Amino acid sequence: MAKITQDAAKVGAQVGRSVPRLEGRDKVTGRAEYTHTMRVPGMLHAKLFRSTVAHGRIKSVDTSAAKKVPGVVAVITIDDVRKVIPDPYYGPAFHDQPILADGKVRFVGEPVAAVLSFDPHIADEAVQLITAEYEELPAVFDEVDALTSKVYVHDVLKPAGTFADLKHLKNAKDTNMALDYRLRRGDFDKAYAAAAHKFEHEFKTQKVLHLPFEPHATIADYKDTGVTLHTASQGPSFVRTEIARLLGWQENKVRIKVPYLGSGYGGKLYIKLEALALALSMIARRPVKVALTFEELFYQITKHPCTFRIKSGVDKDGKIVARKCEVYWNGGAYADIGPRVTQKSGLTASGPYDIDNVWIDSYALYTNVTPSGALRGFGVPQLVWAYESHTDMMARELKLDPVEFRRKNIMREGGEHTTTHILKDAACEKAMDTVLERMNWSKPFDKGKGVIRRGRGFGVAIKAVITPTTSVAIVNVSADGSVALYCGTVDMGQGSDTAMAQMVGEVLNIQAESVRVVQRDTDVTPYDMGTLGSRSLFHMGHAVKRAAEDAREKLKALAREVGEPEGSNIPIRELFVKRYGMQAGNVIGSGIFKPDYIPPAPGTGLSKNVTAFWMVSSAGAEVSVDTETGHVKIDKLVNVVDCGKPINPRIVETQISGGATMQLGFTMFEKMHLDGGQVTNASLADYKIPGFHDTPTVMENVALEVFQSNGPFGAKGVGEVATFCVSPAIANAIDDAVGVRLTELPLNPEAVYRAIRAKAGKPLEDE
Amino acid sequence: MIAARTINFTLNGAPVTADVKPHHNVVELLQAQFGLTGARETCGQGLCGCCTVIVNGLAVSGCLYLASFIDGAEVVTVESLDAGGKLSPVQEAFIETSAFQCGFCTPGFVLMVTQLLDEHPDPSDDQIKHYLTGNLCRCATYPEVMQAVKLAAKKRKGA
Amino acid sequence: MIPFDLAEPKSLSEAIKLLDPDDATVRPIAGGTALMLMMKAGVFRPQKLVSLRKIESKYSGIVASHDGLRIGAMTTLGVIERSAEVRKHAPVITRTMITLSNVRVRNVATVGGALAHGDPHMDLPPVLMALGATITIVGPKGERSLALEDLFSGYYETTLEKNELIAEVHVPSQGPKKAAYMKVTTGSADDWPALGVAVVMEADGKAIKSARVVVSAATTKATRMKSAEAALAGKTVDDKVLAQAGDAAAEDAEILADVRGSVPYKRELIRVYVRRAVRAAIDGQGAH
Repeated sequence: MAKITQDAAKVGAQVGRSVPRLEGRDKVTGRAEYTHTMRVPGMLHAKLFRSTVAHGRIKSVDTSAAKKVPGVVAVITIDDVRKVIPDPYYGPAFHDQPILADGKVRFVGEPVAAVLSFDPHIADEAVQLITAEYEELPAVFDEVDALTSKVYVHDVLKPAGTFADLKHLKNAKDTNMALDYRLRRGDFDKAYAAAAHKFEHEFKTQKVLHLPFEPHATIADYKDTGVTLHTASQGPSFVRTEIARLLGWQENKVRIKVPYLGSGYGGKLYIKLEALALALSMIARRPVKVALTFEELFYQITKHPCTFRIKSGVDKDGKIVARKCEVYWNGGAYADIGPRVTQKSGLTASGPYDIDNVWIDSYALYTNVTPSGALRGFGVPQLVWAYESHTDMMARELKLDPVEFRRKNIMREGGEHTTTHILKDAACEKAMDTVLERMNWSKPFDKGKGVIRRGRGFGVAIKAVITPTTSVAIVNVSADGSVALYCGTVDMGQGSDTAMAQMVGEVLNIQAESVRVVQRDTDVTPYDMGTLGSRSLFHMGHAVKRAAEDAREKLKALAREVGEPEGSNIPIRELFVKRYGMQAGNVIGSGIFKPDYIPPAPGTGLSKNVTAFWMVSSAGAEVSVDTETGHVKIDKLVNVVDCGKPINPRIVETQISGGATMQLGFTMFEKMHLDGGQVTNASLADYKIPGFHDTPTVMENVALEVFQSNGPFGAKGVGEVATFCVSPAIANAIDDAVGVRLTELPLNPEAVYRAIRAKAGKPLEDE
Repeated sequence: MIAARTINFTLNGAPVTADVKPHHNVVELLQAQFGLTGARETCGQGLCGCCTVIVNGLAVSGCLYLASFIDGAEVVTVESLDAGGKLSPVQEAFIETSAFQCGFCTPGFVLMVTQLLDEHPDPSDDQIKHYLTGNLCRCATYPEVMQAVKLAAKKRKGA
Repeated sequence: MIPFDLAEPKSLSEAIKLLDPDDATVRPIAGGTALMLMMKAGVFRPQKLVSLRKIESKYSGIVASHDGLRIGAMTTLGVIERSAEVRKHAPVITRTMITLSNVRVRNVATVGGALAHGDPHMDLPPVLMALGATITIVGPKGERSLALEDLFSGYYETTLEKNELIAEVHVPSQGPKKAAYMKVTTGSADDWPALGVAVVMEADGKAIKSARVVVSAATTKATRMKSAEAALAGKTVDDKVLAQAGDAAAEDAEILADVRGSVPYKRELIRVYVRRAVRAAIDGQGAH
């Protein structure tokens, strides 16, 4: 029975309980709603004609044959779009992406024209009949080349105006650089020159992608009085703002509805198909659905490939005294959120180590490939791959124990992070020690003999949550005492609805299972910056907690108003009857949260308050390497995270395990193959992801018992953190097993085998 | 234009009729004409299992199965498993073990696990892995699915 | 997929009449699992498909006799997988099925389709070739019999005429022969093979009388490795003999590079896995 006398300090009844997921029944019965399988009456299907060249001027697009196909309603190019949206460019950081290719194409797969039909097969057939002529231009593919190349992906840069650190790039020409973040702490040059030992390595990561099993989909239903978009988006509020901007409308005429997402991992952030669907619906004056096929995912968004040049100076006692990080991010043809990846991950590029002299340059670069965006870690997994491989390589060369070497350098509570932010609630050493304990690190380890050799390795990492961002929540108590939560956090599988309901339940002392979490609809659910970067549980969690507390205080006021004594446990339902004479009325609580923040100082990148919270993880791997073929078997993978107080321990466990396994795919075999800008493996047949047999033989997933002092109920996010250390832990283990060092992902059998052969002085020929 | 033809089949126990064209697959048919969205087309290549349906007692990939080919067949979809509002033991087990995240692949897993337990009521880890090789989960809930299969096996024995 | 027409003849002879020897846009479809992929990718755009699903039931089913198995071309891989006769006469086939694609594909794909498709990445063709299978082909001019190894002529190419169909596969009994199939993947474990190696040997303990060694996936087509077979025939298995067989196969194979590996790497895989497959067969381990 609901009571209004709940003391919020009595934590534990709802928070910390493995509540079965609220949407479980809809998901296991196949009845959960997703945009990709949604239909609205009278809707047209759009199919896209895409560029076959990486960089070129469009000489002509011939749509005449397509238009003649019976059943085709319209064939649309940028010229048609411009008639309804005069400035048809969109994007979160730069307004650089045209709704359809505009004069130029900048990557293979860029949409050039769209066919509309009531029958998607007819639209498909018509797309095959479209032809385009291009004047091919030289293209730039590599991120390091892009910095100095004379090939420019964009003639003029057009920052969106949202981010202060991009303003100086307005109208910039003759550059591919979409952001240069720099951090300067101490005097790197001097300290490096004086260091007893100097190390310099380069690491690379490959192009991989999110591959959400529900591919991107948007249905736009434009009317002159308002527009509704049903869309598979991680950020309905941003979509609303951007659609309103494109239309020149007030936001209140734009409605964004988001059902469950068939996952996102960062791939459905900001704005993707929404602008195109809007334009097509405006032209057709009907609802239009744009839904990608799996193959088309390869032309939508990917993770950033990255080149990381890292230099460290170490003194005679094994203390790292200087570090220089040059990080090149391959952003693809449109910036998407790449500049934020560049900055927000850039500021932790030197790792969880206490180093007095640090130099970081982090560059977002345009190239002629599918755009890159955020993928489960906002760049941090690429950085950790490099700096934790680098750490082991140094320890090995210095003949230092990798544990002791890290222990000598690791950041500790109360110390300064590289940015000068004082480290708090960041259990770096504890995470590492827990991994070592779970791996019996101090015990003898069987290295194997003969063909199969065994090894083990680990890594430790830190990330700063993207700051500052805002979340708003509403808690609505109905007159029967039932409670609904309105929040814009999108449950794309991470279990946020359940966790948020638990927070509401905790404050109002009701069962989490009884809380209704309203589906995302910007007409109803208030602003949220976006479901990204592990921010939601913390930021939206605070907003939800405040909204519930507000409702609780209003219920208490209501009780006082009707003459209930302090501490009364009158059921809420009766409270409403007493006040309104019948089952009537509502109590609405609202909450808003935005953390404090000091932006990094221009020039030095330093800040005393750079992030709302730190995410920390460590991973350890035991591997068996087949020395005759290079096959690597993961015998054991231990993942330990500091995610504060787990709101729902079971969901936390599945997030750790899921994140680590996803990163395992990126580590071992996933790779988007490109040949002159052409994707050569755009299908699940040729781009493989982990399946049942690829999971480690033993997998341990541990959430440390720690409390985030500024978090809601001591909690913080956990969506990304288990991805961080998987790649270097495995590379370090391979080195331990067979004495070879791989510096480029993926660590596939051929790469390992080639390294083994090279080490033996019998390198395998190239082709 | 190629004409539609009429096919008759049994859908979740009820006889039904549909007009299909040769190039329509089973997933499209179920979604467009019967409003059943539990079978979904993800990879489009029979590799991920999101489109799983049961035809004449055998699991097939609905995305690779021409709709014309189910003329006269018995077709069962995930929507039949909670007939009467009662979840099947496999569905219960998936909820209790949290063996899903985004849920897009879940109906396919639920159907395949049901088939697996029909064939192997007490499956070994190896049997489970081999049987579910063709079901992928990008959220990587494999350890939880393994637990769900074992719990479901227990529930079915108890039932 | 773009629209096409579909015919569903009731007999094999009727199906053959519907096929056009000169028109590549008319093709037969059995289970369709492979063809659908090509159609969805736009690699194959049919005008008309001729479904074989309604032809005489005698073309689906397995008949065992003293000398082996006659498997109707329309028999699904799932039926073969579950067949007690197959398990008895050619257990290597049964074992191969476990890692062949997945349950749903096996429930639909037919053995005739798996052979006629000419895809070098399939697991069954090398195993059947190593077992010495022959096929019966029916065309407008009647029947002909062909050793399976003579079916494949190149990458996705066979010696079948466009209006010929495989009617039946004849698989000699494995009997006391030792056999193994090894599927090697370089992506995820459930990937298409980067290499398939099938070996079937007459052997007395470690003494090999004769051997058939077939390599697939890494090569343009499933190919008998006759030099490796020669290196094994009449030899007693030891490390040196195994190495010679592996080296011989590695030297002879016509290898294709793709996302699963370069030519030199696949050559090394062949070298290692021919050795391992022979060893597994001798040790009675069967399949990888």
